[in-house]
Amino acid sequence: MQRATRKGLSRLLVGLLAVAVLSIPTATNAQDVANGQASATVLAILAVAATTGLDFGNVYQGVPVTAAKDNSTTGTAAGVFTITGAASADIAVYMQMPEYLATTSGDDRMVISFNSTDAAFDTTGNVDPAAFATGVADVDPYNWGAAATNVGSTGTSAIFLGGAVLPSVNQTAGAYSGDIIVTVSYIGT
Amino acid sequence: MREAHLSRSSVRWFPRWTTVAAVLLFLVPAFDALAGVLVAPPVVILSDKGRTGRITVQNTATTPREVTINFAFGLPESDSLGNVSVLLQDSAITDPFSCVGWVKAFPRRLILQPNSQQVVRFVAKPPKDLANGEYWSRVVVQSKESEAAVPTSDPEQAITAKINMIMQTAIMLKYRQGDVFARLELQDTQVEDHDSTVQVMLDLKSQGTASYIGVLHCRLRDANGKLVGSDNLQLAVYRHLRRRFVFPVVGEDFVKPYQVEVEITSKGRTDIDARDMIYGNDIDYSMLVE
Repeated sequence: MQRATRKGLSRLLVGLLAVAVLSIPTATNAQDVANGQASATVLAILAVAATTGLDFGNVYQGVPVTAAKDNSTTGTAAGVFTITGAASADIAVYMQMPEYLATTSGDDRMVISFNSTDAAFDTTGNVDPAAFATGVADVDPYNWGAAATNVGSTGTSAIFLGGAVLPSVNQTAGAYSGDIIVTVSYIGT
Repeated sequence: MREAHLSRSSVRWFPRWTTVAAVLLFLVPAFDALAGVLVAPPVVILSDKGRTGRITVQNTATTPREVTINFAFGLPESDSLGNVSVLLQDSAITDPFSCVGWVKAFPRRLILQPNSQQVVRFVAKPPKDLANGEYWSRVVVQSKESEAAVPTSDPEQAITAKINMIMQTAIMLKYRQGDVFARLELQDTQVEDHDSTVQVMLDLKSQGTASYIGVLHCRLRDANGKLVGSDNLQLAVYRHLRRRFVFPVVGEDFVKPYQVEVEITSKGRTDIDARDMIYGNDIDYSMLVE
């Protein structure tokens, strides 16, 4: 009887899967929808996404521009990363920050800097930098330490990031770019 | 009848991967607002009996994503205050329990179109005469916009700045050689009574040949047995780990002497498939603090 129930559930799951697979373009192969027993394990997912890029707006030679992590400076936007995982799971965050932005040709560089309070970690699921709720308000992006130890009870946390660019008075006109890398890992697996 | 043609490893892997695919497919709408690249499951287990494994990577964003798979070494490590961090090391790895050098991923680089998913497979090619034990690596899944706009300068403002936001998810990969076991020792418990908090520091040490994965419960009771505070966390001890709990206490309501209770078990993890668990010992410990 139990076997029949399991088989029925399996067929239901396979049916649902088949409908889902047919409804969106995926690369799921035949082996993935073979018959079998369904596991009851709730599989956790870990994801980090950049929902808003750190934006300094208009930049002029010799005029430093600061983008506040709470969007309080006009014409700029804080960078926003969201972390999604199992509710209340412990995580570790590590950020690699650029020291400068460079032109695509590499013939000039512009200094970018981050101070020890330029990041915030909101554990409520809020993704609006201007509405920081609960978490760690001031985080050193170079040294997360104990700041991000938990993804939060909602399963979603957000990193708000500010910074500053410091163009020189003779900064070459052009387009500058650089990379910020955010690494997230579970510490309980 | 169809099952008869599947290999033993295929049959073993089928149930969890059907579930992985189902979870990913049906969770896509929920994660759409926070579009990014999802990685599941959070841990990959290989062994000398099954040297292949896989993860599913899914792009829930509305734009293509360039995904790169790399390996690094990084265990959860704690400082003297019980803060835990993971530092990834991708070169000059000397740890004898690293499997970074002999696990391969296929493919290592891919472009994921919006709302598409891809299976990434892993194959372990361990050295001959590998000693029994558990070997570790981090699978680093990096994603970024595959067609990141190249910034162009605006003639009026002359200078533009673009920051490329690159995301990395580092999940654990474990390779088990031979028979392994998990065993945990609670080496030390320190309790500090501050003005408005009680801090509990636990020193844990893995004594097995595999990492200890479990759940840690810590409770604080006052002299009347009233539960003043409790917390629990998912525990992974690879070697030594120090964890700290801080319980706020209200002066008049908090009656001394109080009791700290620690309960550790490798059962009850719902995020890891039971077939991947190495169940170890349970620890029940209580401490009366005058």
